[in-house]
Amino acid sequence: MGILQFDNYIQLCILLFFIGSIIALGLNKKARLCNYVSNGISIIATALLAFASIMQIMGGKDVIKLSLLKSTLPFIRLEMTIDGLSAIFLLILSLLTICVSTYSIGYISSYYGKRNVGLFYFLYMSFILSMIFVFTSSNAVFFYIVWEGMALLSYFLVIYESERSENRQAGTLYIVMTHIGTAFLLIGIMISYSYTNSFDLFGSSDAIPAGAKNVIFIMYLLGFGTKAGAIPLHIWLPYAHPAAPSNVSALMSGIMIKTAVYGLIRFVMGFLGLQEAWWGILIIIIGIVSAVLGVAYAMMETDIKRILAYSSVENMGIILLGLGVSFTALAYGNLLVGQLALIASILHTLNHALFKGGLFLGAGSVHYATGTKDIEKLGGLIKKMPISALLVLCFSLAVSSIVPFNGFIGEWLTMQSIFASVAHGKHGINILLILGVAALGLAGALAAACFVRFFGISFLGIERSEHALKAEEVPRSMNIAMGILALICLSIGIFPLVAIKLIDRASYGLLGSSILDQIQGGFLVSWYSMEFTSNRISSFEILAVLVVIILLSLLALRVLGGKYIERRYGTWDCGFEALNSRMQYTATGFSKPIRIIFRILFRPSRKRSTKGGTAYYPETIEYTVDSESVFEKYIYKPVFVRARIWSRRTKFTVQTGNIHNYLTYIFITVIVLMAYNSFI
Amino acid sequence: MTYIIYIIVQIMIMLLLAPLINGIIKKIKAFTQKRTGPPILQMYYDLFKLIRKNSVVSEASSWIYKAAPYIVFSTSLTAALLVPVTIKLVPSFNISGDFVIFVSILALGRFFMMAAGLDTGSTFGGMGSSREAMISSLAEPSILVCLFTAGLIAGSTSLDQMMMFMQAKGQGIILMNPAIILLFLALLTIIIMETARIPIDDPSTHLELTMVHEAMILEYSGRHLALMEYGAAIKQLIFITLLVNLLLPHDQFIGAAGLGGILISLLIYFLKVIVITVVIALIEINTVKLRLFSIPNLAALSFILSFLAFLQYFLLGGGYVQLI
Amino acid sequence: MSSLFDILSVMILLSSFVLMANKRIKSYIKTFRIQSLLIAIVAGILGIQLIINEGRVDVLIVCIIIVLLKVIYIPNLLRRTYLGVEHRVEKDFIWNIPILVLICCGLVVFIYFSITAIEGISEDISTIQLVNSVSVVLIGLFFMISRKKAIGLIIGFLELENGIFVTAMFATDGMPFIVDLGIFIDMLTAVMIMGVMVFRISDKFDTINIDELNKLKG
Repeated sequence: MGILQFDNYIQLCILLFFIGSIIALGLNKKARLCNYVSNGISIIATALLAFASIMQIMGGKDVIKLSLLKSTLPFIRLEMTIDGLSAIFLLILSLLTICVSTYSIGYISSYYGKRNVGLFYFLYMSFILSMIFVFTSSNAVFFYIVWEGMALLSYFLVIYESERSENRQAGTLYIVMTHIGTAFLLIGIMISYSYTNSFDLFGSSDAIPAGAKNVIFIMYLLGFGTKAGAIPLHIWLPYAHPAAPSNVSALMSGIMIKTAVYGLIRFVMGFLGLQEAWWGILIIIIGIVSAVLGVAYAMMETDIKRILAYSSVENMGIILLGLGVSFTALAYGNLLVGQLALIASILHTLNHALFKGGLFLGAGSVHYATGTKDIEKLGGLIKKMPISALLVLCFSLAVSSIVPFNGFIGEWLTMQSIFASVAHGKHGINILLILGVAALGLAGALAAACFVRFFGISFLGIERSEHALKAEEVPRSMNIAMGILALICLSIGIFPLVAIKLIDRASYGLLGSSILDQIQGGFLVSWYSMEFTSNRISSFEILAVLVVIILLSLLALRVLGGKYIERRYGTWDCGFEALNSRMQYTATGFSKPIRIIFRILFRPSRKRSTKGGTAYYPETIEYTVDSESVFEKYIYKPVFVRARIWSRRTKFTVQTGNIHNYLTYIFITVIVLMAYNSFI
Repeated sequence: MTYIIYIIVQIMIMLLLAPLINGIIKKIKAFTQKRTGPPILQMYYDLFKLIRKNSVVSEASSWIYKAAPYIVFSTSLTAALLVPVTIKLVPSFNISGDFVIFVSILALGRFFMMAAGLDTGSTFGGMGSSREAMISSLAEPSILVCLFTAGLIAGSTSLDQMMMFMQAKGQGIILMNPAIILLFLALLTIIIMETARIPIDDPSTHLELTMVHEAMILEYSGRHLALMEYGAAIKQLIFITLLVNLLLPHDQFIGAAGLGGILISLLIYFLKVIVITVVIALIEINTVKLRLFSIPNLAALSFILSFLAFLQYFLLGGGYVQLI
Repeated sequence: MSSLFDILSVMILLSSFVLMANKRIKSYIKTFRIQSLLIAIVAGILGIQLIINEGRVDVLIVCIIIVLLKVIYIPNLLRRTYLGVEHRVEKDFIWNIPILVLICCGLVVFIYFSITAIEGISEDISTIQLVNSVSVVLIGLFFMISRKKAIGLIIGFLELENGIFVTAMFATDGMPFIVDLGIFIDMLTAVMIMGVMVFRISDKFDTINIDELNKLKG
């Protein structure tokens, strides 16, 4: 093996992360040095990884096999296999990690002397390492182990700022939910093992009967659905993401929840094979529900990071919608539509990693500069931190799927795949798919509304509190990191074919076909336009026309209207002359019309209490608006209450507190299992 | 070359015709109220006057506030390029966009308009933005489903391809098809919702209880206001053009191409736009403004119309429907 | 000609959606009148066709009866009832209007599936007409469920009857004359009795909210 062999780069990357995490732990007394060294190592390592994965995608259709760890058990092989699908997810991971590590240089500087930076970087790097393993493991048990490791490491990162009780609660909820998901995953893996006698993910699933396959699919869907934050399994997500430090939430939202997408493609599409159309239909339904409800809940939040977390639920919904369309089309044997939808969904995965990562970093910048995450206390930040504001605006446009940015491309491809699917499809699904179109529209418009609110309330207007007044521009490294992400977002938006070509090649190994001849435009001439069965768009041309029209209108105004003369004056206040920042529209007020219309989702309640004075002129008025989280109240709470009652009842018979009883339970379990094994 | 001519004609017609629509609507309303009303060309005078006036800019505002009018205006014109006024002029290689990007371009303009509403720190701006956010998110599913269904019928998502299909297949009156009738009604409802016309929003008042679009642009003055108003007028004309050229195509009646054909085609287009304008004016006269929270009823109705159109299209056997 | 019926069936379906989205009693009556007019047009066209082709006049007579009864007499009767009671706008629905309309949409989808699943429907009958007209029946029934005032119930009942009638017309080119006549007489009696009942309920309870009838049980 020569030094230029790119599979060596992956080994090198893993090694670097491993060494880096230990170095970080060793340097925990020297926070500044630790910060620079750790980020330097992870930037170099992920750059290698990015290079290697691009080479793997572009290079060949054969698979890289690495066995770094040797296992003594014959059926549990700790082997890593990197095919196109793994490579594209590794690429997403590395693109995001490079930016997040650059960002961390500035962001973590606020932790000097307050927290254990060494421990943070140890967890951070091991977390990235665990995700690399998740994307590359070729054995179900190995996958399960690293999946579990990823969950635990992210749990520690969520409770990293553990002095606040809500962070600890968020962590507990997260670990409970993720373990419930993992349990389903384990059941699925075990059922499939009982038929195939193999844990190999690249093996054949022919030995599994159709009925069992359905059960396994449901198990995988529940397992991965929990990680993906699909409604109604999403409840951990809006708590866990805000609790973690912002650079970690960028990674969690950007890439960790995408492991579920990878898992679904790898386990269901790759291993089980798609034989039943209802699998896809179920995923489409979950996708539609998640897309609409996710963004509807995001609209109600006032904590920046909770808004972003719910928006992640929405985007996972769009990704799942694409995935469901793909599964259904493939089950019906429509390879073209299936592949288009798969590409759409992976492209949206990439896009979402980029812009949501960027948004979480932006939220981190806001928190860094102002010390608060409550948008009701912000305002006017665009004058204090103009560069961050511009970058957050770019990401907001991207997440609202607005035109020159990448979010739009993902939505366009999803729409095209739905279009092609309806044109060739069966009637029942078509009615579901048209609801999917409506859901995309509603989710897109609500996302635009939500991010106008996010951007407008926190960056525009007048400062609403001291927090916003004292804000300053953040360190340069943070803006550079976000700038890189914004640039990638914009360039994918303008030159979508580059990304689509990569993903198309990556999915070649999975489906054995390519749709590139259906999408016209070469690699470098792709700025011209993108066309799928004669439906074409070109964001580049649209952008060019837009700019030209703006310039022409400036010129025309100069010619027709003369020189531009501007007078600065206060905002119109109806002659009141005491307009202050508290009279601006608040975030809660902004979302009120939507809260009222969709009250069935939010069940809003309001309370008004007055004190002193007369009924008409009270001295103080207290007004609170509240919206319930329907899922927690009507699905989870009854279950928890029931479980608590049940456990209280069994407390004295089963849970006696006597350690010998517990040992007896274990003993009996082992005996029963061994008996089962020997007699049946 | 044809591409350039197409762009120039398209933009010139939009620029010249758009303010006229508002003039006609105002005139008809005045007529029914036994008033003389402003001259039919009043909006042109207004725009010209505004362009030459100085601008007053709020102290609280940032660059978003000043950039928004240009972006709103240019997104309107860019979107106009995707909706040909006459099929006769569409260049052989078509313009690069379909209805998804059409909706997305308009969303770009709306995003900046809503952001600008929040930028000045005024309560009115925030109120307008908040209401616009609600109305746009209610209208968007209907627009997409409506255009998606029209696209399915025509077998393409490009708006010009759709128009060409409709006129190629619709040798007689294209409206003699249940799906098309429903789409027509749906699109008419969408026009009312999107262009701030009466049951949704009253463009002629500045009462804080009712205004939506006017509240967002309340702070604007001078050339910025002109651009905002112009952009809104163009957007209205785009939607009317979409309606008349997609669902009431006329170019199949004109035989040969050539300059004469194009002129006749434009003339017919102009007449159709006037007819739809009169219809909108009549709707505006005969209805009262809806309470803000009754708007979902109208939105639901327009969504149902689009959805039923989709269903009828499938009841007719799916595939590319044979129009009469 | 079939496409004309397609369009009319869509218009009839649309009128039932408009009815569902309404909340003013006056518009109920107006919409019902329009719906009946559309049905009369269907019957008229069919009647003329049958006269030319087969020499049957019964459908045309039915058409005239519809015009007299459903377009003129019953709406006027309802208008008088409406003027007589203190009730103009429906306020309390079981759910709000957008949801009701969306449920109706779901009904149409459901009927589409169930009709296409039935085997043995003759090829001559257009599915589109059948689905649309059966939907009117179910939407009428659902209208009765969703409204709490007695006049709403009457309108729902009439809409249901319209749906049944138009289904029969599309499916069989007009039922035997005597059946039609029987239905009309039934309906007329029912409407008259219900009209009287509305007055009585209004007198008795000072409201025409039919939830009050719950009190009548033993």
